Order: sequence, then C-alpha cells, then structure tokens
Amino acid sequence: MASPPRAPSLHEFLDELLAEQQRLQTPIARFGALDRSDFGIPHSAVHTDLIPLSAPVPGEQYAFEVDLDACSGCKACVAGCHSLNGLDEEETWREVGLVLGGDAAYPFQQTITSACHHCEDPGCMNGCPVLAYEKDPVTGIVRHLDDQCIGCSYCILKCPYDVPKFSKRLGIVRKCDMCHGRLAAGEAPACVQACPTHAIKITKVTASLGREASPRPPFARATDASNADALARHPRPQPTFLPVFPDPAITRPTTRYVSRRPLPANLRAADADTLRPQPPHWPLVVMLVLTQVSIGALLSHLVAARPDALRYAAICGLFGIAASVAHLGQPLRAWRVFLGLRRSWLSREAVLFGAYLPALLVAAAASLLAVDYRFLTLAAPVAGTIGAASVFCSMMIYIDTRRRFWRAPLTALRMGGTVAVFALGFSLPLAAALVLAAKLGGEALSFIGRSPSARLQRGPLRSATALRLTLGAMAVVGLVFAPTLGLGLALAGELAERYLYFRAVDAPKMPGVSTNSVLN
Amino acid sequence: MTTTLTKLLRAHTGPMTSELVQRPGEFGLGRIPERLAPAAVTHSVCGFCATGCSLKVHLGADGSAINLSPQVDYPVNLGMACPKGWEALTPLAAPDRATTPLLRNPLNGQLEPVDWPRALQTFVARMKAIQAAHGKRSIAFLSTGQIPTEEMMFLGSLFKFGMGGLHGDSNTRQCMATAHVAYKQAFGFDAPPYTYADFEESDVLVFVGANPAIAHPIMWQRVMRNRRSPQIIVVDPRRTETAMCATRHVAIQPRGDLWLFYGISHALIARGLIDRAFVETHTTGFESFAAFLDDYTPEACAPRCGVSAEDIRDLASIIAAGKAVSFWWTMGVNQGHESTRVAQSLINLALITGNIGRPGTGANSITGQCNAMGSRLYANATSLLGGRSFEEVQHRADVASILGFSEAHIPRENSWAYDQIIDGIERGAIRGLWVVATNPAHSWINHGRFKALRDRLEFLVVQDMYTTTETARAADLILPAAGWGEKEGTFINSERRIGVTRKVARAPGQALSDFAILQLIAQAWGCGEMFRTWSSPEAVFQTIKELSRGRPCDITGIRDYAHLDEAGGIQWPWPETRNGLTPDSANSDHSALRTPHSALQERRLFADGRFFTADGRARILFDPPRPAPEMPDETFPFWLNTGRGSSAQWHTGTRTNKSDVLRKLAPRSVYVEINPEDADRLGIEPGGTVVVRSRRGGLRAAALLTATVQPGQVFVPMHFDGVNQLTFPAFDPHSRQPSYKACAVAVERADEG
Repeated sequence: MASPPRAPSLHEFLDELLAEQQRLQTPIARFGALDRSDFGIPHSAVHTDLIPLSAPVPGEQYAFEVDLDACSGCKACVAGCHSLNGLDEEETWREVGLVLGGDAAYPFQQTITSACHHCEDPGCMNGCPVLAYEKDPVTGIVRHLDDQCIGCSYCILKCPYDVPKFSKRLGIVRKCDMCHGRLAAGEAPACVQACPTHAIKITKVTASLGREASPRPPFARATDASNADALARHPRPQPTFLPVFPDPAITRPTTRYVSRRPLPANLRAADADTLRPQPPHWPLVVMLVLTQVSIGALLSHLVAARPDALRYAAICGLFGIAASVAHLGQPLRAWRVFLGLRRSWLSREAVLFGAYLPALLVAAAASLLAVDYRFLTLAAPVAGTIGAASVFCSMMIYIDTRRRFWRAPLTALRMGGTVAVFALGFSLPLAAALVLAAKLGGEALSFIGRSPSARLQRGPLRSATALRLTLGAMAVVGLVFAPTLGLGLALAGELAERYLYFRAVDAPKMPGVSTNSVLN
Repeated sequence: MTTTLTKLLRAHTGPMTSELVQRPGEFGLGRIPERLAPAAVTHSVCGFCATGCSLKVHLGADGSAINLSPQVDYPVNLGMACPKGWEALTPLAAPDRATTPLLRNPLNGQLEPVDWPRALQTFVARMKAIQAAHGKRSIAFLSTGQIPTEEMMFLGSLFKFGMGGLHGDSNTRQCMATAHVAYKQAFGFDAPPYTYADFEESDVLVFVGANPAIAHPIMWQRVMRNRRSPQIIVVDPRRTETAMCATRHVAIQPRGDLWLFYGISHALIARGLIDRAFVETHTTGFESFAAFLDDYTPEACAPRCGVSAEDIRDLASIIAAGKAVSFWWTMGVNQGHESTRVAQSLINLALITGNIGRPGTGANSITGQCNAMGSRLYANATSLLGGRSFEEVQHRADVASILGFSEAHIPRENSWAYDQIIDGIERGAIRGLWVVATNPAHSWINHGRFKALRDRLEFLVVQDMYTTTETARAADLILPAAGWGEKEGTFINSERRIGVTRKVARAPGQALSDFAILQLIAQAWGCGEMFRTWSSPEAVFQTIKELSRGRPCDITGIRDYAHLDEAGGIQWPWPETRNGLTPDSANSDHSALRTPHSALQERRLFADGRFFTADGRARILFDPPRPAPEMPDETFPFWLNTGRGSSAQWHTGTRTNKSDVLRKLAPRSVYVEINPEDADRLGIEPGGTVVVRSRRGGLRAAALLTATVQPGQVFVPMHFDGVNQLTFPAFDPHSRQPSYKACAVAVERADEG
C-alpha cells in the first residue's frame, strides 16, 4: 500500500481500514498460475508406511493398532479425524481418555485413543432393525449406511464402547468407517495421518481377542522402580485389550493396544467415578409404559371379560405405539423395519407391535359396536398373544445390551411388573397393590450400593427417584381404597420408573477425560 | 428387478452418504470430502504456541478459509499439528466476538456499543487527561506474545515514542522473561541457540520442568524421530506424560532444582568429567564457580532436592558419557523465585561439558507463546527495539535514525516490569491501563488482588477478540480486534524461525486488526505523522530488518514475506552479507535454504564458540539457592504446582474453549490432582469435590486421584479461572517472572452440594 498523497481525515482513514479488513486476496488473484497437482509433498503420502501393503486374505480383517508407548497424549488424532472427514462441529469419531494407576514406586498414566473397534461380532450391526450396518466381507470394516438409518439409536445402546453418535442435524447416527475410501486408495486413515508419533496404525488381524487364547496384559509389581526397568523386563510388545475397557467378549473388538510397559494392577479410567446420567428417551418411556399397560389391560379383559379394560388397552396401545414413531430421527424410512428380523430384537418388537395394534383396535371396535362375528371374537385373544410376545421382545431389546442395570431379572421385574399391575388392577385391585408393592421393593434394591446406577439414583437423579417412590406408594394406597384413582397413579408412577430406567443405566464406554461428578 | 428391489431395501447411496464422500484433493492434499474441496490453499504459521507449525489453509472461492491441514514440507511440523492447530479456525466464529467498540455507560454501568470515532476520541481524551493530571508516565500497557511482531513493535513504539508513555510490559513476562534474562546475561544476547533437528541428534536429552509431550507435541515428534536410542531424562516433580516416555524420571522435590544441578556440576567437576579446553577458551567465571561448588557435594544437595546422592552422580555420569547432550527447559524452570539462576545452572552444565554449538547439544529454552520470541526482540517494552537497551545512548541514536524520529522521543529509562506496573496501579502511580490480547484478570499471579486493583484505575481499555474474557468484562472501553487468521504479520518461533501468518478470514462486524487499531490511535492521538510510513505489516517488516542490521538477530538477508513462504520460514540470523559473500552471490544460498533438513534450513548458534558478549566468552553465573518464600507448613501442608492440563487447552481458554472438539479433549471444569495416599487420609473420594485453600484464596475443584503427583503435592491446571487466586506472588529478582509453580495450600473434602 503506498502512502496516501495527503493526510486523510480520521473518518476517511477509518473507512479505508474497515474496507481493507474485509478484503481477502482471492485465490484466483493469488494462486491462479499455480499447478494444482504439484504443491509440495502431497499429504496423501503421509504415514503410508503405517497401513498394510495388501488387502486382508479370508479369515483376516483390518484393525487399528495403538502403540501406547508412542502415544504421548497430544490428541491430534481426534482433531485430525474431525477436520479431514469434514465432521459437524460437535461431532467426533475418535475419543481420548486417561487411565491411571500404580503407586509411589511406579506412578502410571496413559492416554487411550479409541475409535470404532470394527468388531468381529458388532453389537451395532446385530441390533440394527433396518440393516443399516454392514461388515465389509474383505476388510472387515463395519460401515454404516447413512441413508438407510432410521435414527432409532439402538446401536448406541448396543455398542459397549459408545461409538455410534447421533446427529441431531441429520436425524441419524454416524461413526468411524476407518477411512475405508482412503485405505482403498492407499492412503492412511485420517487419525493415522494426524499422529505425530506414529502411534496408530492399521494392521491385519486373524482372530479376535475375545476368542483366541487371550494375551494377558503384563501386570506390574509394586516394586517396579522405573520405566527403564519395566521396559527391560518386557522387551516385546504384547497386544492386548486393556482390562479397564468394557468386556471384549460381547462384540469381539479388533483394536489392539500394544505396550512394553507393564500395567499396574490398580489401573482405572480417570472418569471411572464420573456419574453420567443417560438420555431419558421420553418417547420410549411413554411407548414402553403405555404398550405394557395396554397389554396388561387386554389380559384383564381376556380373563375377566372387562370391556372397560379393553377400551383402556386400545387407547394406551394407540398412544404408546404413536409415541414410538416420535423416537425416530428418520420416521419416513421406518417401513424397512422388518429387514432386521433375523437378528434384531428391535425389529421383532416393531413388527409385532405393527400386528398388535390392528388386532387390538379390531377387538375394541367389535366390543364397542357389539358385533360378534365369530372371527372378530378371535381378535382379542390374537392381540393378547401378539402383545405378550411383543413385551418379551421389548424386554430382550434392553437385556441384549448386556448393561448391568438392564439385566434380565431387573428388566423383567420392571416391564413384567407393569403388565401384571394392569392385568390385575381392573378386577383384583388388592392383588395389583401387592404386586406393585413388590415391584417397588425390587426397584428399591437398585438404590443400594456403589454401582453407578445406585449412585445416580441417590445423587443426580434423586428428585426422580423420590417422585417414583412417592407415586408408587400413593398408587398402592389408591389401589386399596380407590382402584380407579390407584390405576391412574400407578400409570404415572410407571412413567417415572421408566424414566429412571433409561437415565440411571450404567452405559459402558472407553476411558474418558472427565473427572467431574456433575451433570453436563 | 432384483437389483431395484435390493436398492430400495438397502440405501447404499443418497444425500447423507454423499456428505462424507471423498475425492483426491488438489494442492497436495490427500483425499478430502468433496464438499470441502478448496479453490486454493495458502500457508500460515499457527497462532497458539511457539513451536511455529505451518498450517495449509484451504480456501473457498471467495478466498476465505473453509478448513486446514498441517503443511507437509515445512521444516518445523512435517505435516503434523496438535489439536489446537487443527482447530485454529473455529474460535474465529465464536458468538462472543467483539464486533463493535463498547464503552461503559457511567449511568447504568453497562458496556454499550459505540462507533469507532467515539471510541477513539474517548481513548485519546481519557488517556491524555490522565497524563495531564498525573504525568506522562501514569498510563501503561500490558500486551501479549500472541500478536505478530509488526503489531507488537507498533504498539510499543506508538506508546513510548508517540504517546509519551514509559511503562509497558507483556504477558511474556509470565512465561519467557527468565530465559530472556538468563541468555542475555550468559551469552550477551537473548539467543536460544538450537534448531529442532537437535532433538533428533542428541544422545542424551535432559528435560527440566518441561512437558513437551503435551505442551509442545510437535516438538516431541522430533524426539520420537531420534534414531540414536537416546537417554531421555525428565526432571519434574510429577510423572508427566513426558516423564512416562523417559528412560529416567527424576522426581525432584519442588524448588530443589538449583540444588540438583549444582550437585551434578559438583560431581562432574570433582571427577574431571568436563571439557576443560572449551571452558578455558570460551567461558569466564569457571574458577569461581568451581570454588563456589565446594559446598554443593551430591550428599549436601540430596536432601534439598529429594534426589539421592547416588542418583545425582549417576546423572552426572550419563551427561558425561553423552557425545551430544542437550538440556531443555520450560515453565518449571522459568516460573520460579530464583529462576534465572536455575536456567543458568543448566546453561552452565552445557558450557562446562562443552555441549553447545554442536548438533544435538545446547542449553535450550522451549518457548511458550507463538510470538514470545518476537516480543522479546521487538515489543519495545522493557528493552529497546532489536534487543537494545533504552539506557544506552548509541542504541537510542541507532533506533532514532532508523525510524526517522528525533532521539528525544525515545525514553532513556527502562520500563517497569509487569509486577511493578501492578504495584504502580496499587500505589496510584498508574491510572490508565491499556490491555492488548491478554487476560490478566485470570492469569496474573494472586489475581484476587488484580480484581481489587480495577477500582484504582481511572480508565481500563481492553483490546481483544472477545467481549467475555475476565479482563474485558471489567473494562471501561473494549476495542474489537481481529484475531489470528484475520490479519497478516510474522511470528518468531522457539528455534528463531520467522514465519508468516496470513489473512484468511473476514473479521466480524467492525473488528479491526491490532495493526489498524494502532494506526487509528496514532492518527487520533495526533502523532500519525510519525508513523506515516507504517502503512502495512509488511512495510513494518522492512523496518524490522533495518533494526536488526548488525545485531545478533540480523535478518537483512530476508527479502519479504514471499521469501519466508518460499524458504519454509527463515531462522535468525540471516544477514544480507554472509560468509564474505555479497548480497548477490549469497543468493545461491537461497536454494539451499529451501532444501529440507539442509544445514541452512536448520541452523544453530555458537558453532564457532563465540558468544555475543564483548569478549566473545560465555559467562558462568551462579548464586546460592534461597528457600522458596512460601513453604508448606502445618496449616497449609501441600505444595501447589500449576501448569498445562492438556494439549487441547491454551492458557486462559479464551480461544480454545470456543471449540467443541477441544472442549471434549479435556475436563470441562477445574480439578486438582492429588496422590491417592493423601486422598485416602483426608477422606477424599475419586471425583469428589474438594476445597483447595491458600493464604490468598480458595478454590472448589473435583479430585483426580493419581500417583503421578507425589504425596504432599497437588497440581491444578492453569486454564480454569480461580487457580491464580491461590498462587503466591514471588518473583525472580533478575527476570521479575512470577513463581507459579510452588506455593503452600491446604486441601480438604468439601461438603457435597
């Protein structure tokens, strides 16, 4: 910029500077003459020595291998993946965490980087009701079909490593695809490219850690004096899935963590004690409670011929199943939900509910209009049978996640209990009161102890816990003295119970960084 | 039919799938998402730390940045960046950017938008009124190591030569003042001697109070590229990420450092393991040092530093056995009550063992901020432009002649240091303060006091990107500044490499580069004529070259910004006339300058053993260790150490907290690392809330139980507001740098709530 010929006024100068501030040199003006293909060392060449030279042979697949001794904790892998894959601002496909342990003689800390483990038996894929996951037959990469996904989020519950992430913008989940396009073109995945210390590479593996004679991590004795000693005594790296990670037996993850350092026996994730209330999934709370109330009421009608219970069942069933649609990020794609029947409890539940509702509505309509064609009288028992099967599927959806708070007896108590209370409530309110009291007692057992679910219910979720117990107790009293009111209170209480069921679940994940026992 | 059905049933393609589809990038990029394909790229040096990585910024058709990736063929980072670098563009889009000047309305106490002319008029009127009432020196500035050299030089020159002020300092006082003074005293000039290739060429690397694995991960990359199976010795009270990677971790007691290095020096000298020829030819002060060390036997030092006499002798043996030994230090050394002598105890080790000037050697200070090195030479704050002294007649005359001012404009005294300016505010000697791109209300030591000082100021101006920093919220006037990526200029990195940073984004609203703001203030103040030729950063760069002529930091051989781009940055010195070559024939050097890993592209100082002192000899400097001014006692039984928490956080977090990605990579709220034994004794549970108290303040934090801190010590990362309510305001007498690393605190379990 040449000096102006005369001193400009402050205002002129200001205008000039404001205009200059907004002026960018356009690429055309600046780089027009440059050859786009010859621009220094190409990024595609970075770290290509860290990927296999050939494709896997049958019985093999690609896997991440993390050299813990090389990982210094810089976390560039997360940011590099984010930028090179063009992810949304708040979206990351790789996570980092910290594990700590040892003692004064051998203090230990280690950063853990993890992405999708591209499991041999992927929980996400097995749970998906619309087959939106596939495991590449050659590379073993578990890929997600973004345009197939209905946004039900069940894969998030099924993955023990908290890998799939829901995108509010898209209404679907997305996850790491090991940069399959880059690998196919002979480039290293983004995280591998971004690691300054070559700590991440792609290897070919043959058998999963869950299945083969599991290589145990070399536990350290407390007498280890220094890193050098430890390294000297463990000259060869041992591939291992660290004992502080979620159980590899569930999905058989393929990522290997390699280290020559012995791991202290008291190793823990830095966020192991962080209480993380899970999303409430309101539509699911409503859907589960109302469908189970509906089925209970229908059973009551089938046993004791209570048309009022049948109408109650129809209304609850209608609203319950309508609520399930509100849970989906992409409801218009939900027609494909039958595709996963062979593997997915969610698919089975959805198909059964799809049959339950029409049968129930036919039965209710027939009753209301007092039509008694022979085949119409079959509608109620048919609906009852389908309903019972669908409640079983509802339970299995959660039991199948292998989360402790959702294990079979606890889930059966809650969901089966809801059905039982409403099956008895119309004709035998005293029995219903007893069942509900027993159910409350069973639930109360989960408040005791040091488990994350217990601490969540006593801590951050204590208001909901108090509400659940209050409503439950009032419902017991109500069922004894004013059964109609009691059933209403029981319904409200079950909604509170189911809210806790979702929020207080212990969701497994890889180690994280957070240390705070506070709600985010 | 079957295919159609299959396609209908399984949607392998579609709009969502296409969002992530990649194609081979042009401009030397690998595969990138199609929708982010750039129209062009440019290179820009990162604006966080002093590693000085070059980022390849991907530009859209209108020339603004859409993404970035690290530059592969840049000698510093070799295609790598830390998370802050990858996320460098994100903080520009934060919603709390200052988009217009804000002036505090005295009626309601609120900051309200005003136009630039009103802001400038207010700035000038209020500052001049203070000067009229209390003297020219009653205003001061506090600035930063985060803005380009050209802007720093403009700020310091405008303030001192144009506005008649005297006292100005920068937050580099908090990180690099010690290294600056230690080098100046020992080498005759503030000259970190190394190049990053030295990380790769050492047999023995000694890291002291440095955690480069996370604080400078891209420098640590170079350590990992070292193919000599080096010994890596880490001296640190904590088992840091770097200590985990070491071959030997020396878990020193806080403030035992000077004892340790004197003990090692004693062991080296006592066993004759020194380079006597080097010492005799190139140093002064050895004999008195050796005599002084008589009292510092390893046995005498062991209890003072928490390292056994045997280990001290071992360390001496390792250093003596190394053919190329390098010593590296950062804030654990710089931030101490006797930090200059500690830094010099490392310089002394390098000097007496002859480990300087050769590949893989040196006493090497790793710098903190992206342009702390620029600040040290050209901020015109506590030293005159180009590493000169305000107190020397010849230096003032030289500067006046280069700048074309009368010498009368140049003060003949040195400025107060940061802490003295703060004291000056307290005493009422400083009434107007101008804060540029720094956040002292969070970062200054014992900052509870800083907040009280606000009321002593008649006028506080904050020039910043954001309206929400702790300091900006207290301001009378906020001047909205463009940030890194919205302006041009040069940074000098830790290995003396000058690199260019580029304008690749439009500043929001009426925000202006600090350079433009300074131009406007000069005009509004009435001294615009003095700075008429300071028309652009690149014009000022030409002046910087002239200021460097004949100085140790001579860069007259650098043509312009384009030259810096082409060469992959250029380290100082790069004089116009080198090795007896004329400027023209020296041009043949320029191609070598661009050759990766060539001897010209990666240069170190002192190969000839000649230092910048008048006699060409390095000085061996020492003093007896002094106890820390505050030590743990019965009431406050723990040492508190502070420092970087993660690679994803930068200082007070004004920028890094704006990135969702970076926020995920570190705990979101303040935590304290405590040894499980101590936690057990105090009934503190993992993740439980604790209260950390010092004589100056208290802090609630979550407990992180970890054996990586020693019993009796706790560590709190510096990025969270409140930690500096605890720290003790002790200062090194030479560098005036505050001692953030050691004060006494009590820790107790808090009632949950």
